[in-house]
Amino acid sequence: MNILETKDLKHSFGPLAVLFGVDLQIEEGERHAVIGPNGAGKTTLFNTITGTYHPTSGKVFFKGKDITGYKPHKLARIGIGRSFQITSTFMNLTAFQNIRLAILSKDGVRFNLLRRVDKMQRITQETDEMLKRINLYEDRNTPASALSYGKSRALEISMALATNPELVLLDEFAAGMSKEETADAVALIRKLTEGKTVVIIEHDMDVVFSLADRITVLHYGKILATGKPEEIRNNQAVKDAYLGDLEV
Amino acid sequence: MMKNKLNVVWWVIGLLFFAFFPKIFGIYYTNVMVTLAIFSVFALSVNMLLGYTGLLSFGQAMFFGFGGYGTALALTHIPGIGVLPAIGLGVLAAVVLALILSPLVVRVSGTAFAMLHLAFGQLMYVLALKLYNITGGEDGIANFPVPGLFTESLKSSPEHFYYLAMVILGISTWLMWYVTKTPFGQIQVGIRDNAKRIDYLGYRVPQSKAVIYVLSAFFAGVAGSIYGLFHNLVSADGSLGIGMSFAPIISVMIGGVGSFFGPILGVAIFQLVDELILRYTESTELVMGVILIVVVMFMPTGFVGLYRMLRQKISARRTPEAKKEKA
Repeated sequence: MNILETKDLKHSFGPLAVLFGVDLQIEEGERHAVIGPNGAGKTTLFNTITGTYHPTSGKVFFKGKDITGYKPHKLARIGIGRSFQITSTFMNLTAFQNIRLAILSKDGVRFNLLRRVDKMQRITQETDEMLKRINLYEDRNTPASALSYGKSRALEISMALATNPELVLLDEFAAGMSKEETADAVALIRKLTEGKTVVIIEHDMDVVFSLADRITVLHYGKILATGKPEEIRNNQAVKDAYLGDLEV
Repeated sequence: MMKNKLNVVWWVIGLLFFAFFPKIFGIYYTNVMVTLAIFSVFALSVNMLLGYTGLLSFGQAMFFGFGGYGTALALTHIPGIGVLPAIGLGVLAAVVLALILSPLVVRVSGTAFAMLHLAFGQLMYVLALKLYNITGGEDGIANFPVPGLFTESLKSSPEHFYYLAMVILGISTWLMWYVTKTPFGQIQVGIRDNAKRIDYLGYRVPQSKAVIYVLSAFFAGVAGSIYGLFHNLVSADGSLGIGMSFAPIISVMIGGVGSFFGPILGVAIFQLVDELILRYTESTELVMGVILIVVVMFMPTGFVGLYRMLRQKISARRTPEAKKEKA
């Protein structure tokens, strides 16, 4: 069964149409990569799915339920998380406080004005466990703004996963990373997303072909092809439009 | 363990200090202390929005004013009402105003938030001047009764008033501090840093902002109510004027925006400068303005930030190892 499905999803910014009817199908439990040249509409696709924009027309279904136009906080609560291409953490808060905000939301502690948060031992414990899993425990008390690039990207990804979503959309998680940092990030994602459905946008073909079970190629706001990595690699239309000049 | 005991000692010393303050320092400084406490709570209410949630309001005086007018009107028109219910009604007036405005103002931020509050604040100021029958116009409401808890009137016993005011303002300060320590306080700073991410983590941003907005109005109302009682006068210029919205912002900036106790330090500096300058010249704003410029340009985290930086430098010079361990 498809965990996420879009039907004829269209989006325009005023007169500028970006998505021309996208039918994306994500199977439960798979790691799915969305690739395509710059300007193909990949991030816009993410933004219309995750409530940043309301799509101009078309529908989005999550586990068969129509979630078109749901606001981000509502999507988070039904089990959809996302990370951002441009690091979007809480810059003045420590790594610990950043992750803790995700854990608090996961555990439904959202309007508590009565108890001290540093006395909530279960929350502290869960947060520390998460920090250890993502190798940021050493930097527990470092403000997010002072973390190295690789670490702040790891924090970015981990915040999307710390709310324990069933489906997570990662927007170019490896953007700007060195080879080593990318390898670490791929390992981290493998570790953290076990049993989850993952959709990634990615330009680095090494990452795409090592991580993805299936690939969708987006080209000028339309799906050019969807399939297993080898199918995509051998697809003539994809070669012509995109992969040809990347020599994979 | 040691730290806990030390804390208790500090609390006892602090309480004794405040308890015997009127006896030691006399009536003049007792009144200075009440003024300090009132404006501290007011500045802290501004810091809840500005420092902790990243919302700059140019109209916080309207909640201060509503607190004062509400209390004054209650004491004028309701025979036999006690002082605490009167304060409660003033605070309620501020809270109701915040509840009415909140659906609109929580959906904006930045300049729009600041300007909307400038507009609403001025509207309330003009209304206070025009609705003569209710507010007394330019004269305001004066000479209303100020009953005590145990005595007929607090007007002739400033010492009793001091205790009442300090208990209420002290509890308010503690409550505001406590809020910053709760999970909700964390969401607040999260909204300040990155409202979009807070949304994506599953929190409702507008509703969270509304809660903090109403809380801030609540404490501004407490400060305004006590201020009205203290002077036995509420007036448009004294409580609702634009200067009353700017003064706490300046205190917050000077003391240290974003730190909890910074605003209190800011208020103390503000009052001290006022006190010293008035001996030589009337133009206290000129001096405060210069201080504000210096702070904004050279120490954006205020005097608290300066203090922290100096302390760090000194401890780093003295014991490099100890600092390492701490970090």
